[in-house]
This record gives sequence, structure tokens and C-alpha cells, in this order.
Amino acid sequence: MSFRNEPILELRRATEREALLAALRELDARLPLTVPVLIGGERGAAAGLQSTDPGAPERLVAEAGQAGAAEAAAAVETAQRGFADWGSRPAAQRAEALRGAAARLRERRLELAALQVRECAKPWPEADADVCEAIDFLEYYALEALELERGRDLIQVPGERNRMRYAPRGVVAVIAPWNFPLAIPCGMTAAALAAGNAAVLKPAEQAPASAGALVDALHEGGVPREAVSLLPGYGEAGAALVSDPHVHVIAFTGSGAVGLEIVRAAAETPEGQGHVKRVVSEMGGKNCVIVDADADLDEAVPGIVQSAFAYAGQKCSAAARVLVHEAVADTLVERLAGATEVLRVGQAEEFATEVPPVIEREAQERVLGYGEIAEREGRVAGRAAPVPESGWFCPPAIAVGLPERSAVNREEIFGPLLSVTSVRGIEEACDVVDALPFALTGGLFSRNPATVERVAERLPVGNLYVNRGITGAMVGRQPFGGNRRSGIGAKAGGPDYLLQFVEPRVVTENTMRQGIPVE
Amino acid sequence: MVQDVESELQEIGRSIHAAFPTRPRHPLRALDVKAMEMAAQDQELRAALFRFVDVTPACTSLADLARHLSAYLDEVDEHPPPVAAAMRMSHSKAGRAALGAAAAAGVRRMAHRFIVGETPSAALRSIRHLWEHGAAVSLDLLGEATVTQPEADRYAERCLDALETLAAAAPAWSERQVLEHDSLGSVPRVNVSVKVSALSPLLRPEAPEVGRDDAARRMRPLLLRAKELGAHLHIDMESVDTLEATMQLVFDLLDEPQLRDGPSSGIVLQAYLRESPEQLEQVLAWARSTEREPPLVVRLVKGAYWDHEVVEARQHGWTPPVFEQKAESDRNFEQLTRRLLEGWPHVRPAIASHNLRSVAHAVAANRATGRGDADLELQVLRGLGDDLAAALADQGMRVRIYCPVGDMVAGMAYLVRRLLENTANESFLSDLQRGVAVDELLAAP
Repeated sequence: MSFRNEPILELRRATEREALLAALRELDARLPLTVPVLIGGERGAAAGLQSTDPGAPERLVAEAGQAGAAEAAAAVETAQRGFADWGSRPAAQRAEALRGAAARLRERRLELAALQVRECAKPWPEADADVCEAIDFLEYYALEALELERGRDLIQVPGERNRMRYAPRGVVAVIAPWNFPLAIPCGMTAAALAAGNAAVLKPAEQAPASAGALVDALHEGGVPREAVSLLPGYGEAGAALVSDPHVHVIAFTGSGAVGLEIVRAAAETPEGQGHVKRVVSEMGGKNCVIVDADADLDEAVPGIVQSAFAYAGQKCSAAARVLVHEAVADTLVERLAGATEVLRVGQAEEFATEVPPVIEREAQERVLGYGEIAEREGRVAGRAAPVPESGWFCPPAIAVGLPERSAVNREEIFGPLLSVTSVRGIEEACDVVDALPFALTGGLFSRNPATVERVAERLPVGNLYVNRGITGAMVGRQPFGGNRRSGIGAKAGGPDYLLQFVEPRVVTENTMRQGIPVE
Repeated sequence: MVQDVESELQEIGRSIHAAFPTRPRHPLRALDVKAMEMAAQDQELRAALFRFVDVTPACTSLADLARHLSAYLDEVDEHPPPVAAAMRMSHSKAGRAALGAAAAAGVRRMAHRFIVGETPSAALRSIRHLWEHGAAVSLDLLGEATVTQPEADRYAERCLDALETLAAAAPAWSERQVLEHDSLGSVPRVNVSVKVSALSPLLRPEAPEVGRDDAARRMRPLLLRAKELGAHLHIDMESVDTLEATMQLVFDLLDEPQLRDGPSSGIVLQAYLRESPEQLEQVLAWARSTEREPPLVVRLVKGAYWDHEVVEARQHGWTPPVFEQKAESDRNFEQLTRRLLEGWPHVRPAIASHNLRSVAHAVAANRATGRGDADLELQVLRGLGDDLAAALADQGMRVRIYCPVGDMVAGMAYLVRRLLENTANESFLSDLQRGVAVDELLAAP
């Protein structure tokens, strides 16, 4: 069996677009959805947390439960029971359940894309891609679990037999972000389950409904209820999970501040905790695209604009800075500014929309604040036309002439603001990237193979994209994850990822009997 | 009936073949023969050559050119002697300058074969020469990708300039009955092809109406001016991503009351598309129902974005929208030709192919309808179909040469595509070059 990425919808076909709009109408008729706290078979209350449409904040998308410390403790206790069963099943059985969940997501893919349009203002192409990525994670990790069960080959000498296998760790706490509301929680949860652990999922408070759909699909696919629980809520539930002595692994994707806090808290080993916690933490980036003098600007401009502004720049892989060779800097800035001015800012449900609103009011204020810094410390070379009044919209903008130390150049903005800096050459560009604390994605536009080699050697980034956009990593094709302060952990959607959720065990047997090897 | 066409086809094919210029002016002969021959045989060298041609306009100096060339050649496993010599040259400063100069001259020569001039006025002399030798042209303006509104405006201005320049020059050309009349009336001397994607930065496959409307506001004045000048304006087809926008744009615009009585205009149908039969039905249905007076010219082509379509589909897990076997495309081309001929007089068929069989088939099928050769237009590409054009003109057919205009930077994407076509194993041109027998060239696909 081999892995194949789930095909995205061919949205250039009117029939596919119409099918999505129909799914949205059906979903709208059912809003708000209810997302209870779900511990084992127990459905708790669905009250205390609400998710709303970022493009129309008065529209209620989901009423969710609000899990706190007590629910977190109960979920971990349930997960321990779930682990006893799930963790003892052969990989083939676990893989079958994950594939069952993938099949369920496939059946519901239009509806689930529509849900992201409403709950996270994710435009259709990105929402569809997110559902496909979730399916990919389930299918890919299912296959990886089978592979992992085979163990590793060791050196064998006469008279002894050496075996190495991998055992699940126990209970995994999954703390997920809202920006890939299905794919990221699915990836972390599916990996935990594939490896034989039980999982407790604490989704972002902005996107409980997508996580609810994920947990439903897992249960319907055949994962026992006690092996995966759902804790919608705010930070309290997450913090309780991190400090729970019965949690073995914490899989987190989100901001650097929270990620580092988790690393610190997880290092505690209170009385009664018989293990050291493992943390998988994917954090932010300040991703740079280098444009050399020999770049094809016809490709660089759309590639950069798409990387910086799709989903309003709210991807950890999004382009935040461009470092361009001075020989082509003026031309590039002029074309980028022009290409930014024509971007359509609007509601996610409209197919013409290229830049949707950001997730919430605080995000809007933060992004606009950085915009003001950019105006003060440099110049805004291009900005999209006025944005809709209601909803958390920010016009995408290109900033130039900022000093290197400007906050706009140093801090993760997570919104549609791109800073362009002119450099004397490739080495200077690499120096700038090297001086940043982040190392998630990077880009290079150059047509010289020697330059490609040189930059690939120098940049510390986890994922370098050459002559294309820098977002949209595909499971199995571009295993994804950052280095330095962008992350600790092996790349998601790659062959090393499951190893973080298991512990290796080696068994060495003496096969000599009465001085004779009996093998 | 089909059998009749087949025997007529064979006869026509043979006479066209016999009319080919004795000393072929095929580009492979005149180009840097060594480079092209090596490239056609060796995948890696071919890649190196394309990458080099592609980067040429972005190189700032001869040394820079040489550095790129040697970096590409570095990735070729086995160096044939000329390549090894080039690599040695790239080691010294003087050598780099010489190598850069030689390579730049080579690319310029290639470009000149395919691109008729930097501007419409610079191209006038060549265009008139072609006309006097029995071939009409359609002028195509090469350009960089349109990503901003000012770029779209500039492209529209260049199209307007092309219309004005040709219209001012055309009255001085000699009277050519074959090129300017069919049984429906006169055929404009001035013919310009435009690309929708160059007329708007807003074309998005998932929202065709936005780009369509934006392109329409620039296309409308071009059509109105073409009407005043008595010129033909042809709307080219590009990749599937812009197909819906382009078809809708043509139908909507041409139906506007102010454009009912002109200008002559046209659309393109790509035979490599699996859905092209349905698309042709759409075109024919529109052409029959419209109140527009000048018949729509439908240019039937094989399609020039095959690699793009296949790669994009493969990357996304889609079924490619194009036929993957050349024979399927060729068969479809013949079926579409016959269907298109049935659409006359609501449409004027223009068959654009360098495939001798496809061309002969079109001529035979047209004659089978009882109409004369004047009611069929044949089209070729500058640089690739020059010999075929000469042969067709010799046979008294109306042939139009699609002539790109633009500078090196603008022309490079076009040039790379043409070179790719020129070195592809399956192409009719390389068959011709290798001296494949006429029977084989005319064999049914």
C-alpha cells in the first residue's frame, strides 16, 4: 500500500464551486452547532464557549462546552483506561480505525470546508486544502504505524538475538491552534493514536466545532471513545493537561510564548509522576523570501503575494519578509505593491476573496498596530483597497525601508503585512535570516543552481522552498516543521514524526544452550 | 464519405508536401545546429539549454551569463566535447566574457526566428514581406505576466498601437485576393491576437467572473477601435485556469449591441482538451444564436500548454484535462475540424496546425462540403511553420502566420515553449527534420 495525497477540489470548475456553496447553505441552516465536552462516552454541557464568524461577528457558529481543570483530570483518567485497550491493539487494527476516520472526513468534506469558512473565515481553496490535509495525516500515519510496528533491524552475531521495537508512551495531550482548525489537531491526534497512545484534544477556543467534527470522525471510524476525548475551552484546560502527572506527551502547535511556557511546565516531575514528559512544540516563524537578481519576477511576485496574504497571513509558514537584491529591488517593490493593491479583501465565502478577515478583534488590533509602526519607521508602498466595515478585516500591505531592528522586521505579526528589504547580495540576505531567532520556512527565487546550493546550505530553516511559494506543505511530500525557536520536534507528515509518540525498547536474548547456538 | 475524404486527403497531403521549399528554411538548420541536435538527444542537456534561454534576459553581464551557463552544464553528467570546451572557458575571466557573448548571440538568433520584431513598427517590414509572398499574419504581443493594473493598461496600449500601426501600413500592401476574401465577404488585412490574462491582473480560476469583467473593460475599447479600423481582433486561449473566463468574455462582449456589426473577431479551441467537443458545441450554439453580423472565426489548435496542464493536474491529484496520447489529440483534431466545418457560415474555420496530416485533412474535409479553399483558413506559427506556410501559399490556400512581437525579456516564456516543441520527439517538425517518409506523415492517427 502506498500513500497518495487526497486530491483537492478542482475549484476552476463551476460545478465544484456550486457544490461548496450548497454545503454552506445547508450548514448555515443548522447553526449554531453544539460542541459538548466529550470524555469517553460522556457528553458534557455545551455552554460557556462560543465561536463566531470573524467576517460577521454577530453570527454564532458554535456553542461549546467550557472544560476546566476538573474536566481535564477526568479526561486524562479516562484516557488511561482507553490506553490500556487501544495501546494493546495491533497496528493493523489501529490503522484501520484511522482510515475509517479518514473515510468519514472524506464523506463530509464539503460540509467541513464550509464549517471552516464560517468558524475561521478560511477561504474555500484553503478550507478545502485543510480538510484534505487532515485526511492525509490519518492515511499517512496509519501506514507509518504499520511500518513502525516492524521495528528496526539491529546487528546480529552468533549466539544472541537483538530486537528493537517501539511501544506507545501512554496519554498524549494535544493542544491545537485555530488556523488549521481540522488539519493540525488531526495531525497531532492521529499521530498519537497511530502510535498506540490515547489522546485528549484541547482545541483552540476560536475553533471548537472543527475539532468536534474530528473527534466524531475518529469515534465513528472505530477509535474507542475512551481513547480520544475532547475538551473545548480556554487556557485553563490546556494548562491542567500540561501539568497532569499522568500525561506522557504534550503535542502543541501555537504561539512561541505558550510553547515555551509548556516546555517549562512539562519539565516538572512532581511526586507520583513516573516519567519525564515529552514535548512536541511547533511555534511561530518570521519567514523570509530571498529574491536574487536573476529571479523570474513573473513567478516571484505571485508566489510572494500568495505566501504573504493568503488566509490573511495567518499561517505559521507565511512569508513575513522579502530580502531582495538591490539590482531588482525597485522593480520588485513596484510589482508587489501593484499586485497587493488588486487583492480582493472580503468574506471567506466569496470565491473571489483572496484576503479574508483575521480571526478576532485582538488580532486585528495587533496587525493594525504593526501597520502603524511600519508607517512610522518606513513607508507603506502598497495596500489593498478599503476593507468591509464589519468583521475583523485588515488590508494587506507592503512595507519598505524599515530598519533591521524594527519590530515589524523582528516579531511574528501573523497577519497580512509584508516587509521588503533591499540587500546587496545573497550573503547579506542569508545573514539577515541567520540573525533571526526563528527558522521555520524560507524561500528563494534564483535561477542559478550554485546560488540554490549556497542558500540551502546557509539557511537554518526547517523548510526551504525554491522558486515557488513558501506555504502549502503536503503530507509525505514536504514534511513540515521548524528549527531554532520555531519548534522542537520532528517534522509533521514525515517519516520521523511518529517516533516522538513512542519509546524504543530493545530485547537481547542469549540463544546458546549447552554451548550450542539454537537459532 | 469518410473513405472519400481519406483518399482526397492523401492526395492533398502529397501535393502540399511536394510544394515544401526544396532547401528547407527549418529553424533547426539555421539555429545553432550543434546545440539543438545535442539537446534533442540528451534530456539533461535539453534541460540545461532551456534553463539558460530562460534566464538570459535576467543576466546583467556577459560574465553573469557565462556563470549561469556553466552552472547549468555542471549538472549534466557527461559532457560532449563542445560542452566540455564551454566549461573550460568559464574558468577564466576572459573566457567567461567570450562564452557569455557567444551564448547571448545564440539565444538572440533563436529568438529572432520565432519573434518577428521588438515592436509592431519594427515588424512591419517582415509582415509586408510575408504578405507579398502570399501569407497573412496575426500579430501577437508578447509580454511579462500581468500582475498589476498598470501592467494590464500597458498591454492594452500596446495592442492598440499594434492595431493602429498595422492599419496605417496595410493599405500600401498589394491586392491579394486569396488572403482578403472568402465566399462570405472580405477578410481583414489587419489581424491582432490578444491574451485575456495580459489584460487583467485579476484572473483567478476559482472566480472567473472577476478577471473576466476586468479584462472586458480593456478589451471593449480594443474591439471598438478594431471595428473602426476594419481590423480583426482574435482572443487567444491559454491554460484551462482561464478558459471559463475567456469563453464567457468573448460571448458576453461580442453580444453587446455596439459590437454587433463588427469587428471581425474570433476564439480558439484547443483539441488536446478532453472537453473540447463540448466546448465547440457551446461555441457553435452561441454563433448560431447571436445577432452578431460578422461570423466568429474559430481557430482550432492542438494546444500549447500541455506540460503545464499535466503537471498541475498530477500535483493536485486530478485527471489531466488533456489527452495524454498524441494520437488521441490528433484524432480529436480531425473530428473537431469536421464539426467546425459544419458550423459554417455561422463560424469561419481557421485550422492551425503544423501536422501535415491534420492540415490535409482539413482541406479535404472542407472540399467535401462543396465549398472552395477560400472558405478555409490555415494558420502556422512563425519560426516553426514557415515552410508549411510557403507550401500552402504555393497551393493557393489562405495561410496566416502567427507572429509574436516583443523584446527578449517578454519573449522568453514563449521562446522556451517553442523550443520545447521543436525538440520534442513526437513532433511533426522533428519527423520532417529526420526525413520521415510522406506516407508515415500522412498516416491516420
